[in-house]
Formats: sequence, structure tokens, C-alpha cells
Amino acid sequence: MTLRDLVETSLGNLWRMKLRSFLTLSGVAVAIAAFVSMLSFGVGMQENAAEQFDKLGLLSIIQVSPKESDSTATVPLNQAALAHIATLPGVELVYPYEALSTVVSFGDSTLSATAQSLSTNALEGKLFSDLAAGHSISSDTAKEVMISDQMIEQLGLDSATQALGKEIIVSVRVASLDSGIYAIFGSAPERIEERARDFNIDSLSNLDYWERVVREEFSFAVGRFIKGFLNDRKLISDTLTICGVVEHRRGRRLRTGDLIIPPATARKFTSSGFSGDPTQLFSVLQTGNIFSPTSDTNSITYPRATVRMAPDALYEPIKDSIEAAGFKVFSFAEQFDEIRRFFRYFNLALGMVGLIALLTASLGIVNTMVMSITERRKEIGVWMSLGADMWDIRRLFLIESGLIGLIGAFFGVVIGWSISRIASFIARSFMESEGVTPFELFSVPFWLVLVALSFGLIVALIAGYYPANRAARTDPVAALRNE
Amino acid sequence: MPESLLRTERICRYYQRGPHTVKAVDSIDLEIRSGEFLSLVGSSGSGKSTLLNILAGLDQPTSGKLMIGKRHLDEMSRRDRAQYRAHRVGMIFQSFNLVPHLTAQGNIELALLFNDTPKNERKERAIEILSRLGLADRLDHLPADLSGGEQQRVAIARALVKKPDIIFADEPTGNLDQENSDDIAALLKEQHAAGLTVVMVTHDLNLAQKVSQRIVRLDYGHIAGEETL
Repeated sequence: MTLRDLVETSLGNLWRMKLRSFLTLSGVAVAIAAFVSMLSFGVGMQENAAEQFDKLGLLSIIQVSPKESDSTATVPLNQAALAHIATLPGVELVYPYEALSTVVSFGDSTLSATAQSLSTNALEGKLFSDLAAGHSISSDTAKEVMISDQMIEQLGLDSATQALGKEIIVSVRVASLDSGIYAIFGSAPERIEERARDFNIDSLSNLDYWERVVREEFSFAVGRFIKGFLNDRKLISDTLTICGVVEHRRGRRLRTGDLIIPPATARKFTSSGFSGDPTQLFSVLQTGNIFSPTSDTNSITYPRATVRMAPDALYEPIKDSIEAAGFKVFSFAEQFDEIRRFFRYFNLALGMVGLIALLTASLGIVNTMVMSITERRKEIGVWMSLGADMWDIRRLFLIESGLIGLIGAFFGVVIGWSISRIASFIARSFMESEGVTPFELFSVPFWLVLVALSFGLIVALIAGYYPANRAARTDPVAALRNE
Repeated sequence: MPESLLRTERICRYYQRGPHTVKAVDSIDLEIRSGEFLSLVGSSGSGKSTLLNILAGLDQPTSGKLMIGKRHLDEMSRRDRAQYRAHRVGMIFQSFNLVPHLTAQGNIELALLFNDTPKNERKERAIEILSRLGLADRLDHLPADLSGGEQQRVAIARALVKKPDIIFADEPTGNLDQENSDDIAALLKEQHAAGLTVVMVTHDLNLAQKVSQRIVRLDYGHIAGEETL
């Protein structure tokens, strides 16, 4: 007996018992629909996360920062370190997070903004490819600026496109050594006069007195220097044309400045003195190099740097090399693995709920098949008298239950897919009404369809195994005697 | 002398009914020769149907030997016995045992499902055999729409369509009126005349004497007598 004969016979039997077959199929269909619609939510969320990672090119990005360790000396993340990382195999580009506190003037508006310096190479990455309007900075020396979309309103503009071509003045207040020294000597006459008032000839031979005087005067001088250094700062300005508007990103790892300026502009600001930016000041004081802010580029350390890997580069060796150089490494790829792991468990939990429903439906299959076999006992006897063996009978009933599972699963997939589409439509409408950029919450990939059909089939075959075996063990003599 | 088709040696079939052992067939030696028409007669419970089921490969003897040519049917696997039924045996029952939801043609085609007959040939052969037995206008009729005699003709057609070596008929006229009984008897005789081996179980000695070449009488599982006509 060929498989085709068995399938045709089974379909005929199911068609003959239409109502019973329909009810059993419905049970399977509802269970599979629940399975598909629930998993489509988990899969949709996972795909959405993956899409975001891919869109920003995060899987090829590593972030490097200095190690925060008390026991070992911290290796500074400076130009030398960046140059070393750039030579590692598989590294395409390294750029630091270099930010300045600036003041932006446009028309009547004046506001504070953080300016991030990025080279055109760095701007080529996917992270900055999704512009709300305009284009990226054309060269490292261009008098251009990119602004974040949240600046538009602050500058009194209506839209991103309206901002394009507008000129803004970006200023930085810088402090120089002169103002610090001037602050010390500017107050010197007053200070000498004050000391003279307290002067006592007997104290000349008192060592404790001298020690106190030196300590007090040194503290005073340092205080005056810092005060002068920070307060009496020059204003350095540059006029830049807005060439593009980028989406503002929050979050520790992906934060972008309010402004993105080309390196030449950033150099102009930093070479004029110290900006007073706490990071830079700390770095300057730490290295002790306050006299020449630009002559030794290694005096500038960065809080973090971004490493872009070549498309075919492996993450692990690069990570190991950077860590060996004494830095902390953060990888979005690792984070993505965590997310994927989370979704695996999430989907497993959702799938289990669907499978429980399928298990219940399988009891319906067992019931249907047992009833069918009881009713068709004589027919089984006739089949055997005509030459069917146990294997034929077992196959016939397994195929019948398998078809119930497969057809039920097919309709379940259609229903589940429809549910996910309706839910997605409602979700998107809600997101739009809330002003959120709509994204796809549900997804029914082809593999999910295959898994659902397979589950339907496998569970039905398992459910049909006992009844089919029972049918195969029918005693033909007793069955034919049965009236 | 025609060759031996089936041969039993001290064949037994016992059933356990609670504490009692029922000896349905008890040490029977029987030989069925090719081309003969043998009737097994006896009263109810004499073991004739049990013996027929064993000869047809539907039931297994408790002990003894059953030879088909040179092969031992009692030592065959289930699959081989099924093949024996599918290819070499045609069975006719008292209650016809047609599948109620299949048409006359469907019931005939069912018999050809198990002996590897191609699908298109099944249809041709079913129509041909039904036409030969005068049922050409009953092809699409369900068993319920046929008379008892017609149902038994369909059952005989189902047995014959496989072109078996031997037909086993278990009380083939038991549920029929006299006219239909005579028809069926004539039909079986006609098949025998065409060279088919027929083994018929009946309690009707007159019928047996009318159609058979040899009559074996069974009583309480034993052969009580044998008569060659």
C-alpha cells in the first residue's frame, strides 16, 4: 500500500467524519494560533532589537575606557593609546570621545551646548548615517557643524530642514596660564601689606613661624592661581554653518553631543587655552602639563574611545589585545548576545504556554482517534482479511492523526498570523497617536511557520501513536465476527 | 493427481475461556488440492469457521503445521501472512463484510490496494469484474443500497478481482433467501469450473452436496467424516 493511497484514504476518512474532524482540527488550530501569535511577539521584539543594533552598526563597535582600578595604576587613554589600538589587526578606526563645553549664539538665542569633535572618518559609520536632514560634515577643516534635533527648538527653528545653511557662532571660554599668574601677583601688594602688619622681629628666628608663613602663602598662591585660571577666561569663537541634523542619543554609551564639530574647529578651541571642561582640567592637573596645552598631545586623556572593527574582523582577539593594553572594553556584540539569550528564554516561556494548549488539543486527537477506531473495528478486520498488515493499519491511523495535526496547524498559523497583524496594526496606531515612531512589535518569520507546522504534526503523531497501535493489534477474526 | 495446495498436520486451535480450554480445532490433518471444491460442514461450534480462518491466514493455530506448497504458514511473519492474504487468498463472508461507506467499485478497489496493483488498473479491474458478475449498473451504489444477493456478489467480486489461488467462503449463502443462495452457489461453481480452488464452510449439507467435489464433516473440532462426490 503506497503512501499516496494511505493519505488519500485518510483524507477520505476525515472528510467522512466532517464535524468530528472539524472540531478536533479547531482544537489544534486554536493551540497553534496561540503558539504562533505569542511567539511572534517575542520574535518581533527580538528582531526589532537586532534591527536597531544593525542600523547603528553597533555589532562592529567596541568602546574602550580607562580601567577604574585602585590596586594598579590606571593606563591613560590618550593619543598614544589610541594609536596603539589603531594598529591592531581588524581595527578599522579609533576615535576618542572629545567634548567641549560651548556657548552657541544664533540670532537672539544664546545657549550652552556640548560640542563633540568627530572626524569625517568617524562620521562615516552607521551610527551617524541616519540624518534627520542635510549631510555630514564635508571635511575635517570645513566650517560646518551638525546639530542634534533637540537643538532645533532651542535655537528657535521650526524644523530640521529650516536649520540647514544657517550660521551659528560657537564659542569657548578658555583660560591661560597668564590669567592664573596675574591673579597671584595682582594681589601681591595687598598681601605683603597684610603680612607686614603681623610682622614680629622675634619671629625671625622661629622656624615654626617660617614654616607656617610658607604654608599659608603657598596655599594662598595656589588658590589665587586656580581662581584666576578659571574666572578670567578669554572667549574664542568660530562661525559655523549647519550642514546636518542628527538624532540626539541619550544613554551612557551612545550619547552624542548637542553639536558635532570638525577636528580643526576643536583644535582651534583647545589650542587657545584650557576650556575649563572638568575632564580636561582634571587631565591637565593630573599630568602636570599646564604650561603647554597642545604641545604634548598625550597630556590629553579621554573618558572613552570608540573602536570600529573591519567587517570581517573577529571581536575576541581585538578585545583581548585592548584589555592586555590595560583598558576596559565594552562590546555591543556581547550586550546583543545577552539580549538574544534573554529573548531565547522569553520565547521559550511563550512557546511553552502555546505548547500546553497544544497538549490539551492532543487529548482531543487521542479521543477522536480512539472513537474512530472503535467505530471502524470491523472495517479494520476487513482490511486485514484483504491483506493489510499491522504496519498498514498503524500507518493509516498515524497518517490520519498526523493530517489532523498538520491541517490544524496550517489553519492555526493562518489565524496566528492574522492575530499578529491585527495586534500590530493596533499597536502601530497607538504608537503614532502617542507620537512615537512606530515599529513592528510582531513578526512571523518562515522558520516560525515551519516550527508551528512541525509541532502540530509531531504532537498529533504522538497523540495518534497509542490509538494507531491499538488499531494495529486488532484481532481480525474477532473484528469480523463483531456485529 | 492435482498438486497439494494446502496441507495441515495435527493442527489445533484452543481458546482459553476463564478456567476452561475450548478446543475449537483439535488435531486436524487435511489436504486441499489445487482446483478442488471442498466443503467443510458441521453444526455450530464444530470448528469449521475457525479452521477456515487458519487456512486463510487470518488466525494462528495453537499447534500443528500448516503448509502452503512447501512453506510453513504457521512459521511465517505477520507481514508474510498478510502478503499471502493479499495475493493468494480471496475471502467471502456470511455477512458480506463490505465497507459501508465505500461504493461497490470502491470495495472492489480496496482489495487491490494491498497487492501492489497500480491505481488506474484497480479501477479497470473493478469495473470489469463487477460487469462480469452482472453488477455494471451498481458501480456507484453503496452497500446499503444493494440487496443481500447483490452485496454477496460484490463480496465475491472483491474476492475474485485479486485473481487468487484459492477462495475461502464462510457460509456464503447464510444470510440469503433461496433464490439468491442458488445464484451464489452457481456463481461459486462457475468459478470452480474455471479452475479456481474453493473451500466453503456451510451448515447446509444439501448446498455442499450440490456444489462440492469433496465434503469434510467436522464435529467438536475433529474430522468426523469425509465424502468424495
